[in-house]
Amino acid sequence: MQHVFKIDRIRKELPGIGWTLALVSLLTAVLFTMVWEWGIEHGSVVYLIPVVIAATRWGIVSAVVAAVCGVAASAFFFYPPLYSFRITDPQEVIDLILCIFVAVVVSQLATRLKNQLETARQREIDLSDLYAFSRRLAVAFDVSDIHAAIEDHLASVMQRKVVLFASAREAAGGGRRAGVTVPESVLAQVIELASGRHDANSGVTLSADGGDVWLVRAVSPKSSEFGVIAINLGHESQADSNELSSRIDAVLADATATLERLDVAHAISEARMRSQTDQLREALIGSVSHELRTPLASILGAATVLSAAPALAGETKLRALVYDVRDEAERLNNDIQNLLDASRISSDGVKPRIEWADPTDIVNSAIERCRQRFSDRHLVLDLPNDLPLIRVDPVLVEQALVQIFDNAVKYSPPGSPINVGARARDGQMAVSVTDQGAGLTAAERSRIWDRFVRGERHAATTSGSGLGLWIASAFIAANGGKMNAASEGPGRGTTLSIELPVARAAVAQLEGDADE
Amino acid sequence: MNETSPIVLVVDDETQIRRFLRTGFELNGFVVQEAATGAEAIRSATLRPIDLMIVDLGLPDMDGSEVVKRIRSWSTIPIIVLSVRATEAQKVQLLEVGADDYVVKPFGMAELLARVRVALRRQMRAVTGEPTVKAGPLTIDLAARAVTLNGARLTLTPKEYRLLQVLAQHAGNVVTHQHLLKEVWGSIHVHDTHYLRIFVRKLRQKIEPHPDSPKILMTELGVGYRLAQSGEAESAYAAADAPAKSEG
Repeated sequence: MQHVFKIDRIRKELPGIGWTLALVSLLTAVLFTMVWEWGIEHGSVVYLIPVVIAATRWGIVSAVVAAVCGVAASAFFFYPPLYSFRITDPQEVIDLILCIFVAVVVSQLATRLKNQLETARQREIDLSDLYAFSRRLAVAFDVSDIHAAIEDHLASVMQRKVVLFASAREAAGGGRRAGVTVPESVLAQVIELASGRHDANSGVTLSADGGDVWLVRAVSPKSSEFGVIAINLGHESQADSNELSSRIDAVLADATATLERLDVAHAISEARMRSQTDQLREALIGSVSHELRTPLASILGAATVLSAAPALAGETKLRALVYDVRDEAERLNNDIQNLLDASRISSDGVKPRIEWADPTDIVNSAIERCRQRFSDRHLVLDLPNDLPLIRVDPVLVEQALVQIFDNAVKYSPPGSPINVGARARDGQMAVSVTDQGAGLTAAERSRIWDRFVRGERHAATTSGSGLGLWIASAFIAANGGKMNAASEGPGRGTTLSIELPVARAAVAQLEGDADE
Repeated sequence: MNETSPIVLVVDDETQIRRFLRTGFELNGFVVQEAATGAEAIRSATLRPIDLMIVDLGLPDMDGSEVVKRIRSWSTIPIIVLSVRATEAQKVQLLEVGADDYVVKPFGMAELLARVRVALRRQMRAVTGEPTVKAGPLTIDLAARAVTLNGARLTLTPKEYRLLQVLAQHAGNVVTHQHLLKEVWGSIHVHDTHYLRIFVRKLRQKIEPHPDSPKILMTELGVGYRLAQSGEAESAYAAADAPAKSEG
C-alpha cells in the first residue's frame, strides 16, 4: 500500500483528483439543496458514488480523496453540529471507514481490470505483429529482406526508433536509414559489437550528442546472424533506461525465440548461399569460356598450321592424325559452347538483340557454318525470294538452326538428302529441316525438346549431350517463336521446324518508306 | 624473307598462340614480330615498319580495343582483332574503334590468313589508288562509277550504287550496319536496319548469280555486310581447313 501515495503517483492522478473534487462539490451542492428543500435526513451514503467513479476512472488516490472529502462534506453540512467538522456521531466514523474501504477495494479491482484489459490488448497487438513478422519472414527472399523484417518488428513492438545493422561493414557504411540518423558514437559501438570485439550478450547504453540515450546490443546472444540493433530510448530526462532495458530484453528474447523457431538463421545462410551460388556460376561461365578456350585455341591453331605444313604433305597417315586433332578440338569447342549456352539459359541470361532480319540471310549463314558437316549430305534448298523480314535476334535464330542441322546430320545416313525450306503463312514464318533418317517414335517426339534427353535407340551409337535441341528451343522461345517436330515414324525421317511471328503490316509500311 | 615479305606484328600474351601464329605466318612468307603486352605492341609499332597487326583482346596491361584506338590515332595499318568471347555488340564496337576485322578464338590458320590477305590487299589499293574492285564476276570501277557483271554494264539506282561503293571501299572486310546506314541514308537513319535489308535484297537480285545463296554480298549476322574478294577462297588452306565455329 505504501506505493499508493508516492509523489509521482499523485502527480499522475492530479487531473483525476481535480475531477473528483469537482464531482464531490457538485454532489454536495445537490444534496444540500435536496436536504434544504425536502428535508431529507442525511445522504452521506450517496458519497459512495464519487468514490466508485473516481476509483474506476482515475485510480486509488482520487478514490481516497473522494472518500475523505465526501465524509468531510457530510460531517460539515449534514451531521450535527452543522457547519463544523467536529464528529460526535459514531455513525460518521463508520461512514468514513466504509467509504475508504470501498474506495480502496473498488480502485484495486478497477486497476486490476484495467491492467488485464491493457495486457490483453497488448497481447493482441503483439500477436498480430508477430503474425505479420512471420509472414514477412516466410516471403523474404534474401538476407536484407529478413533483416528489414526484424527491424520493423522490433520497432513496432518497442515503439522506439530501431536501426538494425546486419554487419560491421554495413554500420561502417553510415547510419542514415529511413528518417533515423544514428550518431557517430553509437555507430562506433555498433561496429565494436558487430565485429565481435565485445561480449555480444550485454547491451551498452550511451548518451549521444542530442541528449538522446541509445541502447546498442546484439539481437541474439547466441547467433551473430541476426545482427546488432541500436535503439533510441528517448531523451535522457524522460528515459527510465533501466525499466526500458528490461522491457527490451524481454522483447528481444521473444523475437529471438521466434527467429529460432522460424529457423531464420538457416533461411539467412541459405539466402546468402543462393547469391554466392549465382556469383559462382557467373564466375564459372566466365572462366570456363576463357580457361578452356584459350588452350583449345592453341591446339586448333597449331593443328591447322601442321595440317598444311609442306613437311607433312607426303605423310598421309600423319596428316590424318593431325586432322583428328583438329576435328576433335573443334568438337570440344562446340561442346563447351553448348554448356555455356545451357548455363546462360538456366540463369535467364538469354537477352535477344532484336533487329530487322532477312530469314534468307539467317538460313544461309547457318548453312555456311555447317558446310563441313553437310559435306556428305545432299542439301536441297527451297527459299522463296519474297520472304518477309522478321523482327528477331538473327544470331540466336542462326544458332538454333545450326543445332537443328547438326541433329539432322547426326541421325541420317551419309549421302541422304536434307531439305531446308522456308514459308510465310498466316503471320508466321516457318523454316523447316527435313531429313531421311532415323525418324521419331511417339515417345521420342514428346521428349525431344527436353534437356539432357537423348533417344535411347541412338544413345550407344551417336555422341551428344542431349542439350542441342533444348538450347535451340530456348533460343527460339526468346525470340517469341516456337519449334515443332514431326515424323512419320521410326526410320522414316524427321522434320524439325522453327516458327517465328511476322509483323506483316509493319513490313509493308516500311518497305514503302525505304523506296526511292 | 625478302624485301617484299609483309611484316606482321602478333600481339598476344599466350606464348603458345604466338608460336603457332609465327609458324603459320612464316610458312606463308610473312616476317613475324611478337609482343606480349599492349605497351610493348605500341612501342614496336612506333619503332619499326609494320604492314599488319594481329591483336588479342585480352592483354594483361590494357584492353585490346585500347591498343587499336591508340594505333589508329596515327596509323592506318590493317589491324585484325582476336578474341575468345565476343558478342555481336562487341564486334561492332571493335570495328567502330578502327579494327579492320575480327576472328573469334579458336580459329583455323586458313581463316586468319584469308582475313589478313584481304586486309593487306585493301591497304595496297589505298596506297596505289587502284580504282577497280573485283568480287567474283562483279567489277566495281570506283573512278568511273561503273559496275559490270561478267563484263555487262549494270544499271543501279543511286542508293544501290552508294551501298555497293561503301562495301567496295572496304572490300573483303565487314562494314557495320550503322556505318552503311550512315553513309547511304544519313546519320538519322543509323537504326533503320530494315532499309538496309530491303536494299541488299534488291542489290543481290542484280549482282548475284543466285540471289538466295549469295556469294558476293555476304551477310555477317548481327554485325554487317562484307563484299567477298575474288582471291578470298583461293587460300592454300581452304580445302584442308574446316571453318572454325565462331560463336556469338
